Amino acid sequence: MSLSSLISKLAGATALVGLSAIAVQAQTSGEPVKIGAIVSATGAGAGLGVPERNGLLLAEKDINAKGGIKGRPIKIIVEDDASNPDTALSKANDLIFGQKVQALLGPSLTASTVAVGGVTHANKIPQIAFTGIGPAVERERKCVAHVLPPQRLNATALLEYAKSIKAAKVGVLHDAGYGNVVMAELKPLADKYGVKLVAVEKFEIGATDTTTQAAKVKASQPDAVFIIATSATPFRNVKQIQITQPVIAAIGSSSYEYVNAMGPAADNIVIPEFVVGEDPLPHQKDFVELYKKTYNSTPKNYEAAAWDAAHIIAAALNKAGADATGEKLCEAMKAPYTGVLANYNFSADDMTGIPISSFIFSKLVGGKYTRTPFRVAQ
Amino acid sequence: MTLSLVLQALFAGVTNGIVYALVGMGLSAIFKGSRVINAMQGEFAVIGAMMTVLLMTKSGWPYAAAIAGGAVAGALVGAFIEVAFVRFMARKNASEDSFLLLTIGLALTLSASVLFFIGRDGHLLPPLGGEGVLIVLDAVIQFHALWLIAIGIGATLALRAFYHRTTVGLSMMAASIDADGAATTGINVGHMRTFTFVLGGLLGALGGILVTPLIGVDYQLGLNLTLKGFAAAVLGGLTNPLGAAVGGLTLGLVESLAIIGISSSYKDVVAFSVLIVIMILMPQGILGRAGRRGG
Repeated sequence: MSLSSLISKLAGATALVGLSAIAVQAQTSGEPVKIGAIVSATGAGAGLGVPERNGLLLAEKDINAKGGIKGRPIKIIVEDDASNPDTALSKANDLIFGQKVQALLGPSLTASTVAVGGVTHANKIPQIAFTGIGPAVERERKCVAHVLPPQRLNATALLEYAKSIKAAKVGVLHDAGYGNVVMAELKPLADKYGVKLVAVEKFEIGATDTTTQAAKVKASQPDAVFIIATSATPFRNVKQIQITQPVIAAIGSSSYEYVNAMGPAADNIVIPEFVVGEDPLPHQKDFVELYKKTYNSTPKNYEAAAWDAAHIIAAALNKAGADATGEKLCEAMKAPYTGVLANYNFSADDMTGIPISSFIFSKLVGGKYTRTPFRVAQ
Repeated sequence: MTLSLVLQALFAGVTNGIVYALVGMGLSAIFKGSRVINAMQGEFAVIGAMMTVLLMTKSGWPYAAAIAGGAVAGALVGAFIEVAFVRFMARKNASEDSFLLLTIGLALTLSASVLFFIGRDGHLLPPLGGEGVLIVLDAVIQFHALWLIAIGIGATLALRAFYHRTTVGLSMMAASIDADGAATTGINVGHMRTFTFVLGGLLGALGGILVTPLIGVDYQLGLNLTLKGFAAAVLGGLTNPLGAAVGGLTLGLVESLAIIGISSSYKDVVAFSVLIVIMILMPQGILGRAGRRGG
C-alpha cells in the first residue's frame, strides 16, 4: 500500500514536471483536461484512422497554442482499436473509467462506433464519432454526434451531381460493405431526383476484378456511372472496358491511397467531398497550411473531420467549463459550429446537421484533384 | 443478354482464370513435391510484384530486368522457406497440419512486413503491350490480358514438359511419390524438396508480376489470391499442377458467367455452388486419377 502510493505520487510528480514543461511552451497551466480518442490506426480501417490521428494531434497542439481550455491544457489520449469493435469497447471503458476522460472522440468505423456508443450513452459521456452512424442509433443516443455525413447525405450528393449534368439513367457499381449501406439510402432517393437506376451491380469487398459487373453497367447504356466502394479496382475496370460516361464516386474512395492505386484511370472522376488540399476553400486554408507544414503531406477529409471534432469539444468545454458534467458538455456541444470540413449542428435529428451545401465536388484530372465550381444551394 | 456482354464475360473469366491457375499451379506443385499445403502461395505473388515495383521505381532497373529480379526474389524466398523451416520440421516428421499452420503464420508475417516496410499504398506496373486494347463486337480486352493468357498457357505447358522430360523434374516426381525408393536410386530427396519450393515461389511471383498491371498489388492481395488459387488447385486435383490450370479456368469462367447469367449479388453463391457440385461428382478433381499419374 505505502509502496504503491509512493509510486503513484512519484508518477504524478513526474507527469506534472513533464506537463509544466509543455505548459510553458503552450502558455497554459494547471491540470490538463483529458479527452479520449479511439481510432483504427491498424487493421482494415487504418486508411481512416491514421489520418484521423494526425488531425487530432494537430488540433491538440493548436488548441493549446491558443490558450487551451480556459488556460488549462487539453490532452487528447489517442488509442488504437485495431479496427475491432471489441477492442474499441475495452479501450472506451479504460478511457472513461480508468483515465476519467471528459469526452470521447471517434472511433473510425461504424461497428466500433455503435459498440462504444453503448458505454458513452449509458454514462452520459459526450461522444463525437468519425463515422456516418445511421438513423436507428441517432434516434436513441442523443449525445453521440458525428462529424462525417450520414450515408443518406452522401447518396443525396451523388444524385445532386447527376441532376446537374442531366443524367436521367444511372448505372451503379458498389461493394458489399460500405456500398450496400449507401445503396440502401440511394434507391428510395433516386425516384425523387427523377434518376432511373438502369443497372445496379455488386462486388465483394477486396474484389480483384469487377470487369464483368462493369460490362453489365456499360450494356445498360447509362448517362452516368456511380461507383460506391473503398477500393481502386472498379475505377480501373470501368476505364479498361472503355466506359466513357461521367463517373461519380462516393466519398469512400476519395483518399490519396485509392486515387494513387487507380493509376491512369484516375481521370474524369467526380467526387462529392469536403476538402481539396490542392485548392482549399478560404476557410480551410489555415488548416491545410498548418497540416502541410507539420506532416509534409496534403490533408483530406478524415484529417479535417478529426480536427473539427477536437475543436468542437474544446469550444464546448470553454463554454461549459473544464469540469462540466457530461450532460452540461453535451448541451454546450449542440450549437451551430463552422468547421473546416463542414458546418455542423449537433442539435439536428441526424446528430450532425451537415447541410448538403457543405459538399464541394472535386474532379480527378490526370491523377490530380481539382475543385469544380459546382455547389448545391441549401 | 447481348453477345458482346457474353464475350466480355468470357474475356474477364479467362483472364481471371489464368491468374487463379498460376497461383493454383504453384500451390499444387508444392503440395505434389512436399505434401505441404502452402497457405502463403499468394504472398509469393506479392513478393514478386512488389520486388519488381521497387526495382523499377527505387533502383531504376529496366522493366525486363526488374521482372527477372522479381521472379528470382520469389524463387529465393521459396528456397529460404524450405531451408529455414520446412526442412527442420520434415526431419521431425511434422504432420500436414503443422505445415499448414507454418505457412499460415508465414503468410500473415509477410503481409504485415509488406505493410510495415513498403506501406499501405497499392502499386501498378506498366502493362505489356502498352495501354492498347483489342475490341471484338464491342467487348474489350487489354493487350496485357492477352499477354497474360499467352504466358499463362506457356507456363502451364513448360511445367508439364519440365515434369515429364527433364531429369530434375522426373526426380522431383519420384521423390514425391516414394521418398525412400527415390533415395535408394540416388536422388537427393531434400534437394528435390528445395527445388519444389523454388518452383512454387517462381510460379507465384510470375503470377503476381503478370497480374499487377491489371489489378495492382498491395499488402492485402496475397490472401485473396491464395483463396482463389486454392479453390482452383482443389478443383483440378491438388496433386496435379495441370489440374490447377483447368480448375482456375473453370472457376474464372463460372464466376463471370454467373454475373451476367443470374446476378452479381449471387456471384459467389452460384460459383461456389457449382464447385461443390463438381467436388461431389468428381471428388478427385476434374482431371481425376488419370491426371494424377501425369501432371
